[in-house]
Parts: sequence; structure tokens; C-alpha cells
Amino acid sequence: MERSYKAQKVIDRLGQKLNRQVVGSLVACVHCGNCTDSCHYVLANPDDPTYAPAWKGDRLRKIFKKHFDWTGRVVPWWVGAKSPETDADLEELKDIVFGKCTNCRRCTMNCPMGVDFATFNRLTRGLLVHVGIMPEGVAVVSKDQWELGNQMGVLKEDYIDTVEWMSDELVDEVGDDKAAIPIDKSDVEVMYTINPREAKYDPRTISDAAKIFWAAGESYTMPSEGWDMTNFGLFSGDDELGGTVSRRVYEKAQALRAKKVVISECGHGYRSTRCEGANWAQFDVDFVMESSVQTMLRYIKEGKIKVDKSLNISSYTYHDSCNFARSCGMTEEPRELLNLVVSDFREMYPNRAENYCCTGGGGAMSMTEYTPQRLKSARVKADQLKATGAKVVVTSCHNCVDGLTDLIKHYGLDMEVTQLVNLVANSLLVEKAAEVPEAEHAVSTTLAFAGRTILVVDDEADARRFIATVLEDNGATVLQAVDGDEALQMMRDKKPDLVTLDLSMPGKDGGRVFEEIRNDSELSGARVCIITGKPELRRLIYERPVREPEGYINKPIQEDVLVSNLRRILELTNKAA
Amino acid sequence: MSEQLHFAEHTLQEVALGFMALVYCIRIYWFTRFTAGKERQPPTGPASTTPRKGILFSWGIIGMPWAMESSRKNMFMWLQFVLFHMGVVAAIGLSFIIPYLPEVLAIAGVIPTLQVLTGTACVIGVMRMIRRLGGKHMRAISTPDDVFSLLLLTVWFAFAFQAVPNSTANGEWQLMTYFWMTAFFLVYVPFSKISHYLYYPFTRYYLGKSMGRRGVFPFERGQPQAAPTGTPGAPALANVGAIQRVKA
Repeated sequence: MERSYKAQKVIDRLGQKLNRQVVGSLVACVHCGNCTDSCHYVLANPDDPTYAPAWKGDRLRKIFKKHFDWTGRVVPWWVGAKSPETDADLEELKDIVFGKCTNCRRCTMNCPMGVDFATFNRLTRGLLVHVGIMPEGVAVVSKDQWELGNQMGVLKEDYIDTVEWMSDELVDEVGDDKAAIPIDKSDVEVMYTINPREAKYDPRTISDAAKIFWAAGESYTMPSEGWDMTNFGLFSGDDELGGTVSRRVYEKAQALRAKKVVISECGHGYRSTRCEGANWAQFDVDFVMESSVQTMLRYIKEGKIKVDKSLNISSYTYHDSCNFARSCGMTEEPRELLNLVVSDFREMYPNRAENYCCTGGGGAMSMTEYTPQRLKSARVKADQLKATGAKVVVTSCHNCVDGLTDLIKHYGLDMEVTQLVNLVANSLLVEKAAEVPEAEHAVSTTLAFAGRTILVVDDEADARRFIATVLEDNGATVLQAVDGDEALQMMRDKKPDLVTLDLSMPGKDGGRVFEEIRNDSELSGARVCIITGKPELRRLIYERPVREPEGYINKPIQEDVLVSNLRRILELTNKAA
Repeated sequence: MSEQLHFAEHTLQEVALGFMALVYCIRIYWFTRFTAGKERQPPTGPASTTPRKGILFSWGIIGMPWAMESSRKNMFMWLQFVLFHMGVVAAIGLSFIIPYLPEVLAIAGVIPTLQVLTGTACVIGVMRMIRRLGGKHMRAISTPDDVFSLLLLTVWFAFAFQAVPNSTANGEWQLMTYFWMTAFFLVYVPFSKISHYLYYPFTRYYLGKSMGRRGVFPFERGQPQAAPTGTPGAPALANVGAIQRVKA
């Protein structure tokens, strides 16, 4: 049988990507099996040997042995050497390297020979991506990052609008015009880069960081381009994408003559920008790069900001991101900072470089086809979280936030997830330049939706009631619909300013309702915010050939997140209009 | 001593050793032709960690069972590893002692020591074979080379054990078999997984250098901490220690 074109390309590409580190790892594995129990997938699937790191690593080793190592060329069966021959072989390989490993590197840390299985996995992903074989979610996100400069498809004007909106909110909150967030300011000390998830789903972290910079009197700016410090190249194994994305950040920092790039809390973003990007981009950076965790810790130590740990009153544990702890040595700074801003910190075991993956790493959150196995493997993490007895798990990674939130919901844990920036901002002691009178303040917050009509569509009565109550408390006139047909009818009859739409509903699901809204000439201009407890359904929305929704919120819903996101949608679309 | 045994102890071994050395040289040449990836970014992590410290830690980690969870949680396996490899050293040493330094065997305690080492290694070889063939995960990752290499070593240890007294009182076949197996072993090693010791210094060097540069290695000092007990459904987490960085 003739080898398929793609299979041959994969083999050829492997030859180009081999370096001494990889070859050393490939020839050194003795199949001792010591790595097996280090993998959370194995622990959750003890009867399935195809989750064992050595087994997964062997998928690449087989190809290497067959084509680049002498024993495998002469007697392939003796050393298990084998080529991929068909596209179906490559599809099978895809399901292993994308669906059975999060590249967390825990196995590498536990290999007596120093075999870097995580690098094998990433390399194999890269070989497949090179011939266009990858999960759909990976393709979509990579495309966004190639074409739009960020992995969540945030348009430049939306990003700028969000930053300006957060800037206005912050100025209002602290009563000081100097708190405004600068954009593209040159000759600053700090260029602050973020995860696009912050601009799209959690803008509060932007204003929290800005509040800290303002309180510290920092000379900083946010860039209008090169602001996304995340890098899907790390997950997809695509070094070209990795290099391009990193270069955007580096070149923007140079253009602004910033002395330092501060990377907001994101494990893979920090690793990509700080550690790997220079290698991928073949770029020698001439400025300092640090995590915002280090920045905040330094501000406190230097007395630039003052915090009161009694303002964070819950019990907290810390989850080490894989990329922070196992690839960048960032284990002590987050703990030091956490202990400065909370009173009740409880260590998680195991921790630091031995911590278990959040199970959302390696791009797993974007690969919805593997969600069931991801959530099954998350049992290990769920048990670990539960054992801490803490109410809040703190992490310095956005992927971990999503992964942990998902597993907490799946396993019914009574916990919340937050980040250090939120805790620092919450504990910050600041003097307001101009106090807003209490009454005026109350009016401005309680009437956030005054004069607005909002339609809440959800089949769950509790969820509907909660959302409606919050919105009514904030001045909105709330309409409620329990299914898609009723929602469409109400939209035609009442013309609401905004619709919150649940995805998982009996009968006509939210995805279909959404598409009907967008395809209906009368309703297509409606502002829609998706609210769902099933993040894996996100693709049902974003893969539809219609304009994206204006917002997206995960359940369980936090009141402040709901209010701030809906306000943002209404305010931004007002501006656009 | 028969001519055949003399040949097996001397000429055969020298030829096999020469062949192994030649193949190893070719192998190292092949390996170094692959370019080593370079790290361009400034070092990260605690200031106390450096690439040099990372490399030393990485090389030495195999001797620090407390430093790596897979060793710490499986101390018996780690002990097996130590004894097995001490047996390898003893059996290789024996192939030089008998032909070139037979008087060493006359020193009190040498023969029993060598027999304990090779005998223990042989028993561990049997245990490892059972583990490799009996466990679902181990079977799944094993190749014919893995099984054969282990079998070869285990049988070799058995004959080394018998060859230690260097006596032909009961015939030469034990010594003859040991030396022919040693020669085969020397010729086979460069093509098998047994050559892992050749790559170990390189693999751990590069991992240590990278992890040292990034502040991950070394874990300055391992201080196991007890995991909370009573976590339902989490037997894998019990007894798991945590690496606690202890600053000097």
C-alpha cells in the first residue's frame, strides 16, 4: 500500500524538527513504566494502558525508530518501529496527542531518564498541524490568532472599547482622572499584556490590574496591538505561529520603548512569552519580562501599594499552573503574594512542580470532542481540591480558571475560582481623590439597567429567577421565556434591548434559537448574551455561519460578572450605534 | 584451562569490546550531528537556580529517591533499580577480573560479595520480568527488545553468579557460557535499549540545563509533607509528599 501524502509529509517534517534534546529523549526511554502513575489520565483510567505517558510517547518514537534509527530500520518489529501509512493513522494519532494528554509535563518530572514526554507530545501535535490534521477547536483558535492577532477573535475596536470602558469605570470608582488606562503611550516603564479572555469574558481583571498600577503610581500602558500574550502555538505545536505571536508582543514593546513587559496571570502565556517565544521567534529581547504576580509582589514589598488581608475573608488554596511550576519555576512568588492578601491560606497536596494538572491545559478547553475524557480525568484534581477544605481556589492561569471552574461544577464542589489580581485589588487600600456621595453612588449602581428591557431565556426556573432578580434590582424591566419559541415571539412583540439566552433547553435549543435570531431580518440586530453551564456547547454558537453573540457568560453566574458583562454589551453597542 | 575457554576469556572479549567501542563511537557521532536547541531567553525562576546547578541536580536525581515522586512512592522499585545496576557493575567487573586480575578473587569477601550482587540482580531480573509481562501497562509499552534485554541480563547474572569462583572443578561450561554471553551482550548492547546508559548523561544534561535555566531544577531540598488523609476515592494521592523548597 502506498503511503498517503500527509503521512509522508509528517515523516519528512519530523526529520526537520529533530534536535539533540528530542533525539536524546527518544533513544533513552527504557520503558521502565515509572512515569505511568504520574499522569492524571492514568489515575482516572487505571485499566486503559493507552493513557500511559510511555505508551503515548511511543507513538512518536515508533516513527522515529522506523525512519531515523538504525535498529528500527533493519528490524522494526524488534523495537516496535512503525510508520503512519494512511490519513486514518494520522487521525488516530490526533486523538491520542490532543485528547489524551494536556502537555502538563508531570511525567517528565518523574522520568528517571529525563525523557521529556511533554515535548514529544507537542512535537507530534505540530507534525499533525503541519498537514492540517487537528481538532476543529484548535484550527479555529489558531486561525483567529494568525488572522486577528488574538486567540479569541476579539476585534481591535472591541478590545479598545473594552479597555476604555474599564478605564471609565475605574476613574469613576476611584475618582481620579489619573487612573485612566493609557493606550499606546511611549517611553513607559511597563507595557501590560493580557489574555483575550479578559477582554471578552472577564474585563474586571483588566480594571483590577489597572487599579493596582494606578495605586502604585506606575508608568504603564496597554498596547493597541500585540496585547495578547497567550500563544496557541504552545498548544498546537506550531512553532511558526508561536514565533509570530511572540514577535508581535516583542516588537510592540520595542516600538513603545517600554522597559518592561508585564504578563497578566496566565500560565501558558507567561511560558510562551517569557520562556519559549524568543526561541520560536529567534528574537533577542532587550527588555525585561515578568509576570504580574511578580509585579504585584514587588509593589507590596516596596511599599508602593498597601493591602489589608482582612478584606479577603474566605479560605483559600493555591493551584500551581503546570506552565508556571513545571516549566518556569514560578512556585514561591504566588504563595508569598497570597499570604500577603489573605488570612486563611491552605496548601494543596501535592503542590508546586508535583501538582496535578487542572485538566484544562494544553488547549483542552477548546477541544470539545474530548470533554468527557477530560472531565473524567479531572476526578484526581477534584479530590485534591476537596481535600484542602478551602472555599476558594486561587490560580495564576486563565486556562486553569476555566478548567477548574468546569470540574468544580462537574463534581459538585462547593468552591469558587479566582486569581491573585482580584484578591490584590480587593485588598487594596486606596485613598479616593474625590469621594462619591453615598446616595449618588447608590443610584449610579442600582440603576445600571434603568430604562432597559431585557429578555431572560432559560428553561430552569431557578436560573431565570436569579438573573431576573439581579437585573430588576439594577433597574431593568425583565421579560422571561422558558423556551425558544416563546423567546422568539417575545422578541417580535416586545423588542427587548438585550436577550440572555441559555443554550441547553428542551425542544428548540439555544443554538438554533440564536441562529434564527440572526437570520431573521426583524431580529438580527438584537443584542444577545449566551449564558450556559456547558462550555463545551460554545462551539454550537461560534461555529454557526452568523454574526457572533455580543457576550458570553458561564454558569454558575456571579452577580457582578452578570451585571458588568451586560452593561458592557449595552454600552458598547450604544457607542457603536 | 582449555584453549576454548582461554579464547572466550581473552580474544573473544577483546574483539567484542572493540566492536562495542566502535559502534558506540559511531552512535555518539550520529547523535551529536543533531543540533542542540538553544534557549535565547534570560533565565527565569529563583536566582539560586542556574543551568549548572540544574544539570548537576538532573544527573544526581537518580540517587535522590526523595526528590522524585515516582521514586519516593515506589521505594522498593528504586531499591531494585540500585541493586540491579550494582549487579551489572559486578558482572561486568567479573569479566575483567577473571582473565586479567584473578588474584582479586582470592581476597577475603570478594567472592561472596560478587555472588550476592549478581545473585540479587538475577532475582530482581526475574521480578522485573514478572512485572513487565504481568502488568497491563507494562505489557502495552514493551517491545520484544525490552523483554529480550531483560531476559538476557537475568540469565547472564545467573551465569555470572556461577562463574564468580572461577573454578573448573565441575567443568568449564559455566565459565564458558558466562564469557560467550558477555561477548554477545557487548555486541548486542549498542543496538538495544541496554544502551540507555550511553544517552543518560546527555538526556539528563539537556533537561537539567533547561530546567535549571528556568528555575525548576534543583528542588533545593526535598522535604516530604504528608498529604491529608481520608480523601474519598483518591488512593493515588495518599502518601504523596510535596517538594518544599527550603531556602538555605
